Formats: sequence, C-alpha cells, structure tokens
Amino acid sequence: MTGTSIDQARRAAPQGPPPPREEIKARRSTAKVGWQIALYAVLIVISLIYIYPFLVQVSTSFKTDAEAAVSPVSLIPQVWSTAAYERLFLRSDFPVWFRNSAIVTICVTLLRVFFVSLAGYALARLQFRGRGFVFAAVIAVMAVPSVVLLIPRFLVINQLGIYDSYAGMILPLLVDAAGVFIMKNFFESIPVSVEEQARIDGAGTFRIFWSVVLPMARPALITIVILSFQGSWNELSHFIVSTQSPELTTLTKGVASLAGGQLSQGTQYPLKLAAALIMTIPVAVMFFIFQKRIMNSAQGAIKE
Amino acid sequence: MTRKTRAIAGAGALAVAGALILSGCGGSSFDEPADGGGDGELTSSDEAITLLIGTSGDAETDAVTEAVAAWSEESGIEAEVKVATDLPQELSQGFAAGDPPDLFYLAPEALAGYAGNGSLQPYGDLLENKDDFYPSLVENFTFEDEFYCAPKDFSTLGLVINKGLWDAAGLTDDDIPTTWDELTTVAQTLTKDGVVGLGFGWEWQRIGTFMAQAGGGLVADGEAIANSQENVDALTYIQDRMADGTFAYAQDVGAGWGGEAFGKQLTAMTIEGNWITGAMTNDYPDVEYVVTELPEGPAGKGTLQFTNCLGMAADSGNQEAALGLAEYLTSTEQQLAFSQAFGVMPSIQSAAEQWTSDNPDLAAFLAGADYAQGIPTYDGTADVITDFNSALQGLKTGDPQEILDSVQSNLEAIVN
Amino acid sequence: MTATATAPRRARNTRSGIRRGEALAGWTFVLPVILILGVFLLIPVAMALWVSVSDWSGRGSPFSSNVGFVGLQNYAAVTTGDGLATRDFGTAMRNNTWYVLLVVPLQTALSLFLAVLVNGAILRGRGFFRTAFYFPSVTASVAITVLFIFLFSTTGVVNEILGAIGINGPNWLADPRGLLHILVGSVGITDGPAALTGSDFLGLSWWNWLAGPSVAMTVFIIMAIFTTSGTFMLLFLAALQNISPEVQEAAMVDGANAWQRFWRVTLPQLKPALFTVLTLGLIGCWQVFDQIYTGTKGQPAKTTLTPAYLSYDASFLDQDWGQGAAIAFILFAIIVVLTLFQRWALRDRPVSARRARQYALPTRPATASPATVAATQVPSPPDPAQKPAADRGEGKETRP
Repeated sequence: MTGTSIDQARRAAPQGPPPPREEIKARRSTAKVGWQIALYAVLIVISLIYIYPFLVQVSTSFKTDAEAAVSPVSLIPQVWSTAAYERLFLRSDFPVWFRNSAIVTICVTLLRVFFVSLAGYALARLQFRGRGFVFAAVIAVMAVPSVVLLIPRFLVINQLGIYDSYAGMILPLLVDAAGVFIMKNFFESIPVSVEEQARIDGAGTFRIFWSVVLPMARPALITIVILSFQGSWNELSHFIVSTQSPELTTLTKGVASLAGGQLSQGTQYPLKLAAALIMTIPVAVMFFIFQKRIMNSAQGAIKE
Repeated sequence: MTRKTRAIAGAGALAVAGALILSGCGGSSFDEPADGGGDGELTSSDEAITLLIGTSGDAETDAVTEAVAAWSEESGIEAEVKVATDLPQELSQGFAAGDPPDLFYLAPEALAGYAGNGSLQPYGDLLENKDDFYPSLVENFTFEDEFYCAPKDFSTLGLVINKGLWDAAGLTDDDIPTTWDELTTVAQTLTKDGVVGLGFGWEWQRIGTFMAQAGGGLVADGEAIANSQENVDALTYIQDRMADGTFAYAQDVGAGWGGEAFGKQLTAMTIEGNWITGAMTNDYPDVEYVVTELPEGPAGKGTLQFTNCLGMAADSGNQEAALGLAEYLTSTEQQLAFSQAFGVMPSIQSAAEQWTSDNPDLAAFLAGADYAQGIPTYDGTADVITDFNSALQGLKTGDPQEILDSVQSNLEAIVN
Repeated sequence: MTATATAPRRARNTRSGIRRGEALAGWTFVLPVILILGVFLLIPVAMALWVSVSDWSGRGSPFSSNVGFVGLQNYAAVTTGDGLATRDFGTAMRNNTWYVLLVVPLQTALSLFLAVLVNGAILRGRGFFRTAFYFPSVTASVAITVLFIFLFSTTGVVNEILGAIGINGPNWLADPRGLLHILVGSVGITDGPAALTGSDFLGLSWWNWLAGPSVAMTVFIIMAIFTTSGTFMLLFLAALQNISPEVQEAAMVDGANAWQRFWRVTLPQLKPALFTVLTLGLIGCWQVFDQIYTGTKGQPAKTTLTPAYLSYDASFLDQDWGQGAAIAFILFAIIVVLTLFQRWALRDRPVSARRARQYALPTRPATASPATVAATQVPSPPDPAQKPAADRGEGKETRP
C-alpha cells in the first residue's frame, strides 16, 4: 500500500517525464543493496572494535607476563600458560572474594525481589492511608545520586554496629527504589478480575499476592532479578566503606586492589586480567541467558 | 498542602525522627572514646589483640606472622596479624568506626593527625629499650613532647647499580659516582640501547635526596624552606638530565616503581631503599646489583630516611599486651631476624654492629643514617607531599621555581 | 468491563467485608521498603548534612556532645579558602567538567548513530549487533578499568596499533598534559596570556581551567563512552522503532532526502529519548568514582581527580569528614541544578513566530489556521500536507 502511494505521489509531482517504472525499481534496488552493504560493513567494523578488547583479555590471561608485555596485540599466545590462574586460585584470597561476592549477591537478589514485589503490590493494588505519600517518597529517593551516599552510609552503618559484617554489606542494598517502581507498574497492568476471583474464594491478602499475582509477574520478577544481580555483583563503593577485614573482601574490592598492585610489585597483567575475566563470567552468563529480556527492559525504561 | 509537599514534609520528619532515635540508642559501638592512658595507665584484659601491617611483600608478611605467633605462645595472649591492602584508609575507617586494631604500623606524617584527635595511646616512655633507639627516629615520633610509639625499623635511600650493565659499559669501581658531575658522566655512559642511565619514582620520596644534597629540604628549624635556591638548583639539575635522556621517571619507562624499572633492566641505576633487596630476590633474581651511597651534591651528602612505628590505639582493650608485643618486635634479636628476612635496618643502636657484619653489601644504607632527612611531622604534611608529588610528575616540562613556591605556601600553612 | 465496574466500589468498602485486613496488609507490605530506604537513605543523608556543618573529627559518634556546629565553614574551606583544599576541589571540578563536556555529547551521538545503524539492519543481524554493543555495559566498571589499564599501557595494544600506522603513542595513564595545552603548544604557545594566568577561580588559574582533559583523563573518557553507548543505543532503538513509518513516508513523498529526513523528521520525534539519555548521562558522569579508585586514584598530577573521589579521599584518608561531606552535597546540588536546567532547555516550546511563518501557507481559506496547525505539529518539509493524503485517500478508494 505504501509503495503504491509513493508511486502515485511521484507521478503527481512535477518532475519532468517520469522514467519507466522498472528502471526506477532497478535503480533503487542497486542503490539500496549498496547502502545495505556499506551499513553492514560499518556495523561489523564497529562491533569488532567492541569485541576485540574482551578477546584480548581472554588470550592475555593465558600468556606469560613477559609475552603479555612484548606482544599484547596477538590473540593466540605463543606459549599457553595457566600461571596466572594458578596464582589466583591457589596462592591468593581470590576464592574468598568469590565466595563473599556470591553470598552478598544471592542474599541481596532474593531478598530484594521479595521486598520490592511486596511493596510494589501494595502500592498498586492495596488501599491504605498514606499510600500516596509512600509512593512519592520512593520517587523522591530515586533522585539521590549514589555518590552522595558514600560517607553517610558509612556513618549509619557505624552507628548501628553492623560495620565490617555481612549485615552491613547486605542490608543497605536490599531495597532499590527503581525496583519498586517497576513492580508497581507491572502489577497495575494485571487485570483485577483475577484477584477479585481469588478474594471471593476466600483467600487472604498475602495468599492472593503469593499464590495468584506473583506467579503472573514472572517477566517483571526476572527483570528485577537481573538488575539486582548485576547491581550487587558489580558494586564497589559500598563495599569499600562498609568493610575493612580481608575475610569480607568481595570480588570488586579484591580486583580493585589487584589493579593497585597488591599481590605483586610489578605489572602482572595476565593475573589482573584473569581476575577481571572470572569476575565478569557470572554476569556475562546471566546476560547471554536473559539477553532478550534485558534489552527489552532497557528499551522499556524510556516509557517510564 | 499538595501531595508532593506532604511527601517531602513527611520524609523530612521521618529523617529527623530517625536521626534522633539513632543518636539516642545506637551508641553501643560508639561510647565516648576511652581516655585510658593520659596518666600512664594502660588498659588490660583477656582480649586477643590485633596487629595491622602494611607489608612490602610476602617476605615481610611471613616474617611478622611468625614472630607474632612465637610471642603469642610465649606470653599466652592471642594475637592476630592483619595485612592491609590500603593502610591509611583502613586505619582511618577503623578509628571512625571505634574499632581500630590494637597495634598498627604508623607513619611519621600520620602521627600528628591521630595524636591530635586522641586516637593514639602514647607509650614510648614505658618501653624498656627506649634509650636504645636512634635519636632522629625518636624525634620523628614525638608529638607535643610525648614519645608516642616505638620505631620498628628504618631504611634510607642509596644508589643501586646494575653490575652487569656497569661492567659491560667498561666502568670500574673507581667510576662509582661521588659527586653530581660524576653521576652525570656515568649516567651518560650507561644510557644506551634502550636503557636509561638513572631511573627513579616521580615523588619527593626519591627526588628529595637531590634536594638534601643541594643543601635544601622541606623544613628546617621549624621553618618551611621549600622554595629556597638550593631546592630550585636540585630540581633544575634533574630537569636538565631528563632533557638529556640520562635520567627518567620509572613510570615513564613503563614501570610502576624504581625497583621494577631496575629489575626489568629498563634503567641501569636506581635510587631505592633497603626494601630493594627483598624485591630483587623475589621478583628479579637474575639481576646482579651493588648498593653505594648517593653522590654528594653542592652541599655534601644527603639522603632520605623512612620509618614506621608501632602505634597503639587509645581505644584498645588490652594495651598492656600490646606493649608487650611492641617490645618483643623491637628487641635486638627480632629486629635482626626481620632485617635478614626483608632487608630493613634495626631502629636500635645496639644492633648496628651486628647488622653491618651480617650485611656488608648493604653498609651504604646504614652509612646514610648519619645524614638522612626525614619527613616533616606536621599535621597535613601527607597532603602537601601528595600535592608536591603531583606537581613533580610534570617536572619535565614544568617550572621548578613555580612548583616549589606552591609547596612553600602549602608548608607555611601547616608549619605555623 | 468488570474491572472498571468494581473500581469505584472498592474505594468504599475498605472497612468491612472481604477487604478488611487490607490497610494492615498494605502497611506490612511496604514496611521493609520504608525501613530500609529510611534507615539507609534518608537518615544517612541527614547525618551527612549534620557532619558537613559540624567539626566532627572522625572519632566517636557525630552526635556526641563534644561535636560543635560550625555553620558553613566546611563549605567555605572548600570553595573560597586559599589553601590546598580549595585547589584540590577546583582541580576536581575542572577535571569532571571536561569529562562531562566530552563524554555526554560523544556518547549521545555515538549511541544514536549505532541505533540508527542497527535499526537499518535486517532483523537477523540486529540481535548480534545489539549484543555486541551492549555487552560492555554489563561488566563491572572495576573489570573494565583493569582491562583498559592493560590496553592503554606504554607497551599496550593501543600504542602497538598506533605504532603500526606510524604514530608514537603517549604513556597514556602517566601523562598529565591537558589536550588543549598540547594543541596550543603544537603551534608554539606554551604559557598562557597574562589575562588567563593572572586571575583564578577555585584556586586554579583560568589558563589551567582551559587546559582540557589530560591524556590520562582521555582514557577514562574513552572508557565511559565504550561502556555506556550500548545502554543508550537500546533506548534510542526503542524510540526509533516507535516512530510510525507514515511520517517518514510523507517526508519521502515531499522530496526530502535521507539527511533531511533524519534531521527534520526523525530527530525531533526522538526528543523524549534524547532527554532521557542526556539526563542519565549527566547524572552518571558527575559520579565517577569506581574507575578512579581502581585505576589512577587521581594521578597523574591530580588530573584524574573527581569530586566524588575527592569526597572519599578527604573523609576516609585525610580524616576531614566535614569537608568530605560538604563536597558530596555540593556535588548533589550541581547534579540537581543541571538536571533541572536541562529539563528547561529541552522543554517543548511553542514554535517562534519566524518559524511559523516558514510554514505559513500563502493561499488557504482561514478555517483552522494552517500556520498554527502546521506549527503545532512535528515540523515537516514545507508542502501542503493535504495533497498526498487526498491522493492516498483516492488511491484507497479506487483500488479494488
């Protein structure tokens, strides 16, 4: 239909004797193919630029220190060496870091999903006085940039006596205003009839939430899981201020200290890159599994 | 009120209420700081004690852990060694949280700050061997006429020469530079084939040796002398050599510090301290090297000395045990053992002879103790030095007088 | 249908019937969120505000009786004093300003460019390209910083590649020279004119303010663009896919080429997305901390110092808690002001009279004034909009 209107419009426009239809089409399609090829060429070059650093990272982690300094560009090591990984896993605190990151991330993700969906449901569906105020407060809180919270959070964690403990690392990360927002929006889009039905059948509020509505909120829940996993696994500044003992160091803090030359006096690139690589793997795995969902939710953010 | 105004008002009320509640009840880990010690009374209990160290490498970590374990067995008090990834930050956080380690490495420039706000327990006068410490070290750790903590060791800077490259360039022992001019010549000869003659870190902690040799320094007799002509001469000398290509910053040849540049044979000589021995043995065992005293400048010999003490926290619950540990770690036996392990020099004079006979190759470091300058101990010195170092990083294209004027104004602010 | 019917009834039955426990349930449900947000967000901010106007030295509780109120002294020390504190703050502000000035436009332009390209690709390839461009955004800033330190080291990948095309790459992360100074120095000007070196602002001479980002800071700028372009590309993609193809058609019909179509038709419709990207970019760029902490910690020569890192440094390393908190709040104020300003700058304004005249139609009956109609629509190439529609309408009717 659209093609027809363009053709008609062209015929109507005063542009001299109209060229035969086949010629137009042929001209347009070669030009079009040309443009497409150029487009793809540019896209491929740019995506190579984006992917290459990570490939270099993988290959360097298997090189020896000397080779990493001498031939950094090559993607295939001349001599395959797992020295970096050995040092990382056998002679450093890396396993401890990984364990701590895992503990914190799992706790934060599970609890955050729970709390945020509770609150989102209450704000979306339950009537109670002060509901508007709570929602406004949540929105206001979203505006505070995290850099402002560095010192304050340290002070509060101190006062509460949870400094240098798992509680101090996990509790402040448990709730995320954006998460409440997402869940609320989602719950509002679920038809009320489902809940009404359950209520008539005699279910209490929590029962309705847990057994009826929550299973339907799968897509939003997965979004929150992904966001909290990513957020807490990649968090650095909060862990800096909330802990000081080496037993509580997380991957981010540990890799940051590696970059500052902790395990060695020199520039041991394979070691640092191996650590950064292993740190990225869980998030990358999550990413590839939930790709579509992540990218759709990022695109959906604009509507909010 | 509109909903939004109500929301903001409500949030504000909540915040204020919460703050009041917290200040009232949350004081469990925030009791008023302990005052135990103003009158010489140390706290004592059955608590285990912790020692926080900033290590120079595995050698130091292992040596200290072993020593502390031995003391624990002997004394029956549990003690734990914690290795800091960032000592100043962890100390500061520990003090702010009211949970500092009992004993910790403390640098002279940090003394004024922590002593000033009451975080430290002075115990220098309670030490058995307090008269044995070098006077300059005791001075470094005296604040407002109180000897605060026991210096645990010290190091000076010397000139470290790569024997292999030295011999290959046809130089002999006679050519070891004793003046700036000789240094210039030697560096020139050694600068070839991608190797720079002399390399060092881009910081006052190395460049200060030249300033001392020229007759300058940072502070003298309680007055800031940063922008004196002598200092300008020193910086100009370095600048000229960098223009020649015979001197270079370690960072400019791609290394993290002078020792790395030296170990990777990117430079033929370097200015480093006692810790170079540990680093070379561990990381660059194939490089043969010689240590000599730094050459004399226009005003004679000059070098810098670095030291740390074992600070004691005022909030510690078992200060008596901490005192015992500090005495153990600074005893002659223990200090000689540490110097075997990671090359530092004992802070007590009675161990000097033994050390020199044990380490004939490193005698140059000990010789430096006679004329070494230390870091000024005013509160805020660390910041001034950091700022000075930032400016020094641009020395190649910068103006020495300008850089030093800026340091002078910063120093004057804290010296007065 | 039933949903709308029951909604009004719900509001009236909260006290009895099957909705009895709703208020209690409601409050219980939001309680965890309120508690945690309150305790770990609102109260900390209040506490920090107090610390910023007090003389707490870092030991003991900030609320204890021997901590005094000092008014705006900490703020003054950081902004108007003439010591190291002000100079450091000025340096941090300069570095971050250049960072923002370069990162925000570049990342917006790049992500828009990538979005347009990916949008033009056929469906199959799109997924691969989206993944490739978005992947860096998923990794931790710590990991990416470590990677970039390696890439930009003296003998690293970037310098090797530059060497292959004959350029001698600088020692990236150790080079404190400002880009503008290098540019100006290449034509022989090494010292600033007296006008610029004479006066200063926040402790730095204007000549220093105009030094541009240092070479080391440039590495961080490249890193920022690398990691955030993917996220913003997705935002633009969504917006692009929401543009109805009919407007594009109309433009094509009216003879606009691809370039004109992009600027006059596509771009204005992307305004909400543009606003989001600019806002998020601004807010993010003023909070650079992780990369600096992991990478250079403000060096070389303090040219990678940022206010966020300075706030941390002043508090945790120098024990100047009051000043650190003051810097954090000044940063907060800057972010808020910039966001509001940007909102104002990009607001939907009525078209100016001159613009409206461009679209004014010469001989039209004044029913609904076409000028105002055209003015309030998305600007389309100056052609009577009715003709093609009429053609289209006719085309639809006459086809079988």
